[in-house]
This record gives sequence, C-alpha cells and structure tokens, in this order.
Amino acid sequence: MGAREQLGIPFQQVTSMNQNLHQANHVSRRAMLKGTVVTAGGMAVANWGALFHSQTIAAEAKRSGKRCIMLYMEGGASQIDTFDMKPGRPTGGPFRPIKTNVDGIQICEYLPKMARHADKLAIIRSMRTKSVDHGIGGYHMHTCYPSSEKFPHAEIGAMIAKYCENPESDLPSFIKMGSPGCTAGSGYLGPNYEPFTLGTDGQLPGFVNPGVPLAVQDRRAELLKSFEERFAKQRPAEPFASHRESELRTIRLMRARKAFDVEDQWNKARDRYGNTPFGRGCFTALKLAEAGVPFVEIGQVGYDSHNDNFPVHKANLSVLDPAWSSLLQDLHDRGMLKDTLVVWTSEFGRTPAINGQGGRDHFGRAWTVVLAGGGIKGGQLYGASDRDGFEVAEKMVDEGAYFATIYKALGVNHRAKHYLGTRPIWATPEGSKPIEELLA
Amino acid sequence: MSDFSSAKVLHTLPWNSAYITSLAFIGNDQVAASNKNGDILIWNLAVPEGKTPEPVRRLTGHTNEINAILATPDSKTLISVSNDRTVKYWDATSDKGEPGSVLLNDGFLPKGVTEKVDKVPPPPPPIEVKVIVQKPIRDLTNHAEWVQGLAQTPDGKTLVTGDDQGVIIVWDLPAGKERRRWQATQWIASLGISPNGREVAASQHIPYRDKPGKESFLPEFHLWDVESGQSKLDLKKELGKDFPREAMSAVVYSRDGKWLASAHGKLQTEKNQGKILLLDPATGKKIRELAGHPVGTNDVAFHPDGKHLISCGRDQMIKIWNLEDGKLVRDFGKFADRGVWIGALSISPDGRRLAAADRAGQIVIYSLAV
Repeated sequence: MGAREQLGIPFQQVTSMNQNLHQANHVSRRAMLKGTVVTAGGMAVANWGALFHSQTIAAEAKRSGKRCIMLYMEGGASQIDTFDMKPGRPTGGPFRPIKTNVDGIQICEYLPKMARHADKLAIIRSMRTKSVDHGIGGYHMHTCYPSSEKFPHAEIGAMIAKYCENPESDLPSFIKMGSPGCTAGSGYLGPNYEPFTLGTDGQLPGFVNPGVPLAVQDRRAELLKSFEERFAKQRPAEPFASHRESELRTIRLMRARKAFDVEDQWNKARDRYGNTPFGRGCFTALKLAEAGVPFVEIGQVGYDSHNDNFPVHKANLSVLDPAWSSLLQDLHDRGMLKDTLVVWTSEFGRTPAINGQGGRDHFGRAWTVVLAGGGIKGGQLYGASDRDGFEVAEKMVDEGAYFATIYKALGVNHRAKHYLGTRPIWATPEGSKPIEELLA
Repeated sequence: MSDFSSAKVLHTLPWNSAYITSLAFIGNDQVAASNKNGDILIWNLAVPEGKTPEPVRRLTGHTNEINAILATPDSKTLISVSNDRTVKYWDATSDKGEPGSVLLNDGFLPKGVTEKVDKVPPPPPPIEVKVIVQKPIRDLTNHAEWVQGLAQTPDGKTLVTGDDQGVIIVWDLPAGKERRRWQATQWIASLGISPNGREVAASQHIPYRDKPGKESFLPEFHLWDVESGQSKLDLKKELGKDFPREAMSAVVYSRDGKWLASAHGKLQTEKNQGKILLLDPATGKKIRELAGHPVGTNDVAFHPDGKHLISCGRDQMIKIWNLEDGKLVRDFGKFADRGVWIGALSISPDGRRLAAADRAGQIVIYSLAV
C-alpha cells in the first residue's frame, strides 16, 4: 500500500496538493504565511504578530512601545517580611530593616540588592483586596474581577497583549513562565490573546525544536494548509479553528524560537541574576522584552508559608533579590526601563500575626505590591498600614485602582470596553481610577 | 527497666508571650526557656507541693529570636545562640542582677491569623512577676548570620555552633575562644558533637521552594572531622532513600557515643516525614528507625538511663522510645494534625524530670520518676 492510500487520500487530491506546493515555491515565505492568517474557521490569529496578522487587526493594534514584566510571588509573599516591616512590634518577626538609596524608605535586610534600586520603586503599602485564597486571589489579582462573577474575564497579560503588542513582531505577545498564578487566560478577549507558557526557567517546550530545516518547515506548513482548507470547506466549525490556530502557533514558534535561546548570554549573566530557575526566568524576560514581547509573567513559587514562614521567606528572598535587581539594572542600562513596567505582586499578603506553626496565613486587609519603571514615579512609598500591620491606615488601594494605575502607566485605557456576545465588559470595574501620585 | 507508666504532669508554667524555642535544665531543680522575642526566663522548680513555680530570673541581651540554649555539665553556665548572630554566655548560678519584672500571659492576641478574628479566644489575664534581670557575661560575635546549631561535649570543654552562612565554629568552651571553623555548603539547621569532641554531625539545607530538581538543592548531612574541618562521611549517600528532602530538626549524640539520632521534619512540606533515625556514628549506617511524629519531629533528647529517647513534635505529642527495639513506650498529649506544636524539650540530668514547651508559650514539667 502506498503512502497516499495509507493516509486515505484519493490520488486526485494528492495531485492537487502538489500543484499548490509548486505554486507556493513562487511566493515569498511571508506572503505564504500571511495567507494562513485567517483560519478555515474564519478566526484571525492576531496575537502572533505580523506573519499571521490580518490587515484589519494590524490596524486595530496600537503599538505603544510599552511593555510589562510581572513578577508573581505564588502563594502570597509576606509584606511585613519584605517592604512593610514592623520592627519592634509583636508582628515584626525576625527580619530587620535596612536603609535603601532613598531616605525614609527601609526594606528587609534580605533584599540588599533591591535596596540599591529603591529610587526606581513605588511601594504601595495599603493594598486591600477581597479574595484571600489562592484560586480566587490569583484570579482577582490577574483579572481585576472576582471569580465569583462566573464571567470569562481576561488576564492582565491578555489585555496588555491586545493593546501593546507590536504588529510587526513574530513573537507571542503574552508569555508566562513558572507556576501559573491564574489560568483565566485571555477570557472574553478570545483565543488570540491566550498566554504562551514556557518552562519555569524560560526554556521552550520540546515541540518547538523540529529538527528539520526552515525550507522543509515551510513546505510542511503549506501542505498542512492545503489539507485543512479542503477539510474546512466541509467543516467550518469553531473547534476546528482553534485546532488550526494551535498548529499555526506551533509553526510560528518554531520560527521565532531563537529569541528564547538565551543560553550563551545566560552563562555571563547567571552570577548576577542567581543561578536559579527564577533568575533565568527574569533574564529571559529581559531578552523577550528586548525582542518586543509586551507582557511576560514570571512566577516564583513557594510563598504560601503557613508553617515556617521565616526560613522559607529568607530562602525565597535570596532567589528574588539578585534576579529582580539585575532585571531592573539591565533594563535601566539598556534604556528600556522608562518603557517597561515591572510589577511585583502576589494573590494576597500574609497575616501580621505569627501562628503556632511559625507561619503567617493569608491576608488581604493591608498588604504590599511594588511597581517600578515605565510610567511610574519611583522612590516613593504610597499608603500605609497601621503600626502592627492589621489595617490600612492611609490611602487604601483596591484591585480596581491597582489595575487602573498599571493600565494608565502602559497607555492602556483602563475603562476600555469590550463585548462578549452582546454583553459589555470593561477592563476595570466602574469607578476604578488610576492613582495619579504613582504616575510619572 | 522503666516503662514510665507513672510519669505525670508536675507543673504547668505559663509564659505565653511568644513561642518558646528551646529549653535547658540547669541542674535538676531549675529550668531555663528561651523565646522568639529574645528573652530567657529561669524557673526554680523546688517549690512546696501544690505551689506553681514562678520565674525567678530574666536574662536579657539578645535582640532577636533565640534558637537554642544549653547548660554546661557543671550547671554553672547557660549558653544561647540567636538570630542576632551572637553566642552569649550567662552565669547560671548567680542571683545578682537588677530587680525587674516579667509579664506572663502578655501573648500577642493572634488577631488576623485567619481574618476570622471573632473566633480567636481571648488571652488569659496577664500576671506580673518580680524577677532578677541579668545580662550576659560573654558575647561572642564570630558569626555573621543567624546561629541555629548549638552543641557541647559532655565534659564541657568543647562547644560547636553553626549558622545560616554554613559556617561551623568549634570553640574552647570555658575560654569562649574560637578553635576552628569551616565552611559547609548550605545553612546549618542542626548539629551535634561526638562525646570525644572529634566529630561534628551537621544537617544543612536552604529551603528553596524554587527548586530546579538538581541534587545540589537537596539537604546535606555530613560527619565532619573537627581536626581537619573535612567531611568524613556523607550521610546522604549512606542513608539513600531514608534521606529526607528537608533538613533535620535535631541531631543528637548519645552520651556514650553509640547512637546518633536524627529527627526529621524541620520544615513541613510533606506528610509522614517526621521519623527519627538511629545511626551508627562510626559508619553512618541506620541501626533503627522510629516512627516519630507523622507531621514532623521538632526535638529529641537521650534519657540519661541510656536506654530511652524522648521526642516531641508538630502533632502536639511527646513520645518515649525504647532504643533497643525501637518501640514506643509511652506518649503524652493529644494528636492534632495542625495544632500547637510542642517545639522543645529537655531532660533533667538525673532523668527524673522532663520539660516540654509549646509554640503558644506554655511549659509543662513532667515527673519521670519510677
């Protein structure tokens, strides 16, 4: 039995495919790939840049030149053990504050490198958030909405991908590394803005290393396309479009994979970033931002310290400090920091009181996030918790204000209106306002 | 052989200020306790029947959590190590000092622990007790990070300490002089010194949660030669599958040097990780395995009779084990999967009393007399 019989393809169709292949050799690779932008199901593949970008979507995209790197402390980092210390108070714990390069700002002794970058940081010590368990907290702090609404909200990464992506880029515009703090993905923005997930240390999954030359990949892509066009004429259903989109993404990623290959440069950088998965993730985020990716999230796992909060935080901070500080330094040295917002956040903070297991539990009443870089006025403390850290004492910041501030810093309309079917939905809830004092 | 069947609670000593980190008998009639606020209190246990002992001395000088204390064999000196990076010596016999007071039951209301603050019971009423306040007689500042490990030889001549930079220091104990130091690869979680002073067993670990799955991120457990500062035995290799993924909470030599006990459960990352291994210090081979405390074992001590080991754990239990067959002889407490840990214990030199302290700040004195 011949190959075509094994595949169940009639001889006539194979001949037709060969003709298509032959024709494709006479069109440019770019034109060929552009031809696949609208899938058989009619769905455009906008998130993946120019090679698959329809003119319509390209026109919609607003190239702001802004980028965002989000450092997500999975499990909930303790504000009192990092940026809102309470020395001498019963809630203070064993860590001690140190001076920074900004008078009046002190942070944890186990963030000594970050202390040299305090002039770049806006430390919000007055977060009050409503969702204080992991799933719901991760969702809320990624989408700005509570998961209880039972609505497919979009993650911040998808929103920024939509409004800040570079239409000329071949790279994905929403990348995640490490443990996912949220799996909402693109939600109502549609599959075009779904995140592309890398390994914890920024390594690409194996399937993007095809082991065949580019020309062969092109021919395979076109062969696939011709198959699918024929197939889709008879089956125009949406699930097929999603399947096709996944294939296209894979093909595109194979082409763009060199942007993720930071091995040589990492060998020179790892002593500064720390030879850890998170350190490498931060370095990869730098390179991806440099290559034009508008949103990268890197997760650092292990902050959920209901037991043994202090050794766990001490170890985690020893990973965080060199990675985060080197990222800020490198962004600054490359002139990228003014256009790159670096966000340090969690799903919530941790309780001021220390429990009977030497741990701190989930806490949303008064905790801390940190913003730095693009669009943010650094070197400031914003808001305050009370002397033991149980309540917000000044300038409470809720989820809406936090997201609105980030969006405004990145040039995104925080009240951007979208639709799921006929239902309108906004980027942040009604009444959400950016905090002007934080903005440069 | 005692089955400890007549063991009973003698006294319950309230402190309830912060969780208690370590206990040490000073002779048979005094017990010292340290807490996370950096305070040490000493109680006289020799009180008329029916009376509850009160603290008589308060030792002040540490500025951060005290991780371990011990009394020298002659009961003249108390030694403490702390997150303030110091090793301090205290006169264990003197009753001289400034008059002062200590407030018992001033424990910080655990408001906010769960955000369900209405469910937190009110603390007991505070009690003010007059005490003598004493300062350290020696302050050793040779460590640059939190000092976690503390042990001495039975002859009281050698002290060993270890810190979170992986530095192990061997001291001339009476002189308080550093004799030797060496560098381990990770933080020193717990350590013990052989009765002859020639070997140090040290458990090391940095509790990264961002593990890349490489061998270098797993804990280490070595027997070090004191004279050369070199590793004599890699116990991780010897123990194989018995080796835990976290540091040991306690590493203790028996007085005769026949046993090395290692207690598992320094950090609670997995269930059923609180076993206790009895090792042959000469070979590192496992002699016996005790079931320990399923949620994590916090502390262990060999009974002076040479036949028993006592342990306490994260399950709110105290257990007495027979060394020869590894069987449980007696236990105290009520099991709780997530209760208030019993974090520290100490046995009086005559073996007739046991002190155990919980993380809520309470000390219970048991009679172990037959």
